Amino acid sequence: MTFITHDLAVIGGGIHGASVALFAARAGMDVVLLDKGALAREASGTNAGTLTMQMTRAALIPYALKAHDMWVRAPEWLGHDVGVVACDGLSLAFTEAEEQLLAERAAARRTAGAPIRLVSSAEATRIEPGLNPSLRMASHCTIDGYANAYLTGVAYRRALLEAEVALREYTPVEGLDPTGTGFSVRTRTGVVAARQVVLTGGVWIEPMLAWLGIHLPIRTLVNQLSVTERTTPVMRTVVGIASGLLSLKQFPHGTVVIGGGWQGTGSRDTGHHTTTHESTVGNARLAVHAIPALRATRLVRSWTGFEAETADALPAVGPVPGVPGAWVSGSVHSGYTSAPYIAHCLVQAILGQVPDMPLFPIDRLLVQDMPAATDFTKNGTEH
Amino acid sequence: MTEFADLLVLGAGPAGAEAALAADHAGLRVVLLDEAPAAGGQVWRAPRTHAARTRSDADQTRGRDLRGRLDASGVQVRTGTQVWDAVPGFCLSCVSERGATRFQAPRLVLATGATERVRPFAGWTTPGVFGLAAATAMMKAEGRLAGRNIIVAGQGPLLIAVAAKACAMGVPPRAIVDLNGRGDWLSAVSGFAAAPGLLLTGLKWMARIVAARVPILHGADIVRALGDDTLDAVIVRDRASGQETRLAADTLYVGNGLTPADEIHRLLGAAQVADALRGGYRTLCDADRRSSVPGLYVAGDGAGVHGAFPSAAQGRIAGLAAAHDHGALSAADFARASRHARGQLKRLMRFADASCRLMQFPEDSLQDIRGDTVICRCEDVTVDQIRAASGDGACDLNQLKHFTRLGMGPCQGRMCALNAAGVLRRLAVDAGRDLRLTPRAPVRPVEMAQLIGTFAYSDIPVPKPAPL
Repeated sequence: MTFITHDLAVIGGGIHGASVALFAARAGMDVVLLDKGALAREASGTNAGTLTMQMTRAALIPYALKAHDMWVRAPEWLGHDVGVVACDGLSLAFTEAEEQLLAERAAARRTAGAPIRLVSSAEATRIEPGLNPSLRMASHCTIDGYANAYLTGVAYRRALLEAEVALREYTPVEGLDPTGTGFSVRTRTGVVAARQVVLTGGVWIEPMLAWLGIHLPIRTLVNQLSVTERTTPVMRTVVGIASGLLSLKQFPHGTVVIGGGWQGTGSRDTGHHTTTHESTVGNARLAVHAIPALRATRLVRSWTGFEAETADALPAVGPVPGVPGAWVSGSVHSGYTSAPYIAHCLVQAILGQVPDMPLFPIDRLLVQDMPAATDFTKNGTEH
Repeated sequence: MTEFADLLVLGAGPAGAEAALAADHAGLRVVLLDEAPAAGGQVWRAPRTHAARTRSDADQTRGRDLRGRLDASGVQVRTGTQVWDAVPGFCLSCVSERGATRFQAPRLVLATGATERVRPFAGWTTPGVFGLAAATAMMKAEGRLAGRNIIVAGQGPLLIAVAAKACAMGVPPRAIVDLNGRGDWLSAVSGFAAAPGLLLTGLKWMARIVAARVPILHGADIVRALGDDTLDAVIVRDRASGQETRLAADTLYVGNGLTPADEIHRLLGAAQVADALRGGYRTLCDADRRSSVPGLYVAGDGAGVHGAFPSAAQGRIAGLAAAHDHGALSAADFARASRHARGQLKRLMRFADASCRLMQFPEDSLQDIRGDTVICRCEDVTVDQIRAASGDGACDLNQLKHFTRLGMGPCQGRMCALNAAGVLRRLAVDAGRDLRLTPRAPVRPVEMAQLIGTFAYSDIPVPKPAPL
C-alpha cells in the first residue's frame, strides 16, 4: 500500500474536529480525521443545540456572536441542514437574588457586545406568552436560537466527504509520536502519518495531550437533558434562567428540550454516563415553573453527555507548547455555539496566518498544577 | 418518598409473583411492583368487566389463584405503579396516581415480561390493525374482541389461541394466516408432548377452529393492509408461490412472536447475548437466576422468552436464590425448596423450545419489505429512509436515530429497534456490531405532573450559578 503523509491529522470527530478538518481541507490541506466512534456521537451530537449568548461567558461573547452568524448561514458554508432556528432569547428572574444576578450578568454580556437588555415581567410575557407570569424580570436578547444537534454528524459527514477529507471513523487512536518532520498517529489498524496534528477530543484532550508529555487537567462535567413528546406550541423563544441552570426551547416538530447543565453521573475513563433521578426531577420542575404548560406533557427521554472544562473555565485552543506542529482545541465552554468560529481562527493559525480573533493558548494552564477552580458547578452552556 | 424492602420484584406476572411469594415465604420483606391495575401479568391478566369475569377459562383460574395467594401473603403489592428509572443498589423511580415514589432494596428480581413483535408490511399502521397480544389483553380484561370481519395472522401458539377464543366469542375469523407450514407444526408436536396438559389445550383450540370451519392459510403472510381511515382488506401472500390473495376484513390481529421487555435489564447493565430463539437478546444468568449485576436476578420472558410456566418456575428459583443470598435460607433449604421448580423447568424446556421455534421472528423476510413501509411508527421512518441513512454512513442504531429520528418517539424504539436493526444489518454492516439503541430513562413516557408533583420554587435544588 502507498504510505501517504497527510498535511493534517485531526483526532476527534466532534464539532470542533470536524470544523477544523473541513476548513483546513477547504484551504487546500490534505486532511485525515480520526474518531474512536462515529462523527459527533458524543457531546456534539447530544447537546441541546442552544445557540445563545445568555449562557455564554462574557469573554467568549465576541466569538459566540461571530459563530451565531455562521450557524444562521450554515447552508452557505456547511452546505447541509442542521435545523438552525434563530429566535429571541429570554433569561428569567423569579427572586430578588436572581434579579440582581440577571442585572449583573446582562450588563457584563452587553459590555462584551451581546444585544441584551433588561425587560419587565409584562414585556417578557408579551415576547413569550407561555411564561409563568410570576416572574419579576427578564433579560432579552435578540440574538439567540438553536440547532438540531443530532443532525451535526450527518451534516458534517456529507460536507467532509465533499471536501475530500479522509474519514477514519471507528478508529481509536492509541498514541502519537513526533517524528521530527511530523507525527505518527498510532491506531489499532496501522499508523497514519501527518505533518501537523490537532487534538480535538473533547473531555479526552487530557489523555491525548499526555501522549505528548503535556499535563492539562480537564474536568469532566456530565450534563443532562430531557425531551418531551411532541406537543402543541407552548413557547417560541429560547428560555433560560438567571443562574444559567435552565435552557428550554420547543423544536419545530413539537418536542421541548429541557436542559441547563444539571449533572448526571459518569466517567471519562469508562466513557459511560447516565442521568440521575434528582437532576431529572429538579430540571423538570424548573422547566415547568418557567413554562407552566409543560406540566401537561409527557417526558419521553433523558440523556447525558460529557462537557470538558479547564481550571479557569476558558478554552484550551492553540499550539501545544514545545511540540511544533501540534495543536489542541477544546473546553470551549459555549462549545457547540462557538465551534465553527473558533475552528475558523485555529485553521488560520495552522495555515500560518494571524487569526481574526486571538486563540486561547494552554500555556496559562500548564505553569504549575492548578488548584481546583473556585467554582466548578457550572452548568450551563448549551450542553 | 422512599419505601425500603429486602427485595424488590418488578413485574407481577407468573415469574414475578412466584419470585415474590417464594422470598416472602422465606421471611424477606418483599415489594412487588406492576404497572397494571392488578397482578397476573399479560397471561393471567385480571378481568376488568363483568363480561370478562363470566367467561372462565384456565388462565383466569390461574390468575385468580395467584392473586389470592398474593393477598394471603406478606408481599406488599404495588399495582398501578410505573417504573421510569432504575439504578444499581437498587433504587427504582416510580410514578403512580399517588404521585412519585421510590423503592429501595439491596436485591431486585426483574420479571418484566415480553413485548410483541410485528413484521412491518405496507399499511400495518392503518387503524384496525392490532397485535395478537392486544387481542388477548382485550379478551382477558373485557371479555370481548373488536371487529366483526376479522383475520388473525402471524405465528406461534398465540395465533391459534386468539383464533380459538375468537370462535368461542362468536366472531370466528375469516381466515388464519399462518407464517408456519403444517410441517413446522408437526415438528413441534414432540416438544409439545413434554407438557401433555398444554398440548391438550392446544388440541382443543384446534378442534374449535376446525369446528368453526375457519380456513387456515399455512406458509403465508400479510404483505399489505388496504384502507385509509379504516381497514378494508388485506393482501395475503403464499410464501412458496408468491401468489397474492385479497381478503376483505375490518380488523386484523397480527403478531410475529415476542421479544424480552428488557429495558431495565439493559439500563442496569446486565450482560446479554444475542439469542434469536429467545426473542432477540437473552440476559445471562446462572442456574439460580443471578445476572451479571450483583444482587440482580432475572426471571421470565423479560430475560429470554420461554412462556408462562417456565417463567413461573424461574421466578420461584430467583425468589429463593434472593432469600438464600440474603441469609434467610440455608443452602440445604434453598436446594430443597427449589428442587421442584428446577425439575419443572427441565421438563418444560422442550415444550418452550418448540413454542419459541414457531414464534421465532422471520429475520430474513425483512430484506424484501417494500421501501415505503414504515418501520418507526412514532416518527414515520420508512425502509427507504433507513437505506438512505445507511448510504450517508449510519452504521449503528444510535447513528440511525440521529440521522432519521427513528426511535425518538414515545415508544423509544420498543416497536422498531429490532426491525430497524434487521434492515440495517443487511446493508453491509459489520456482523459483529451491536445494533441496539443505548438504553435511556424514562423507560416509558412519564406524565410530567406525576413526575414533578407539587413543589415550591424555593425547594428546587438549583445548583450554583455558572461562571460569568
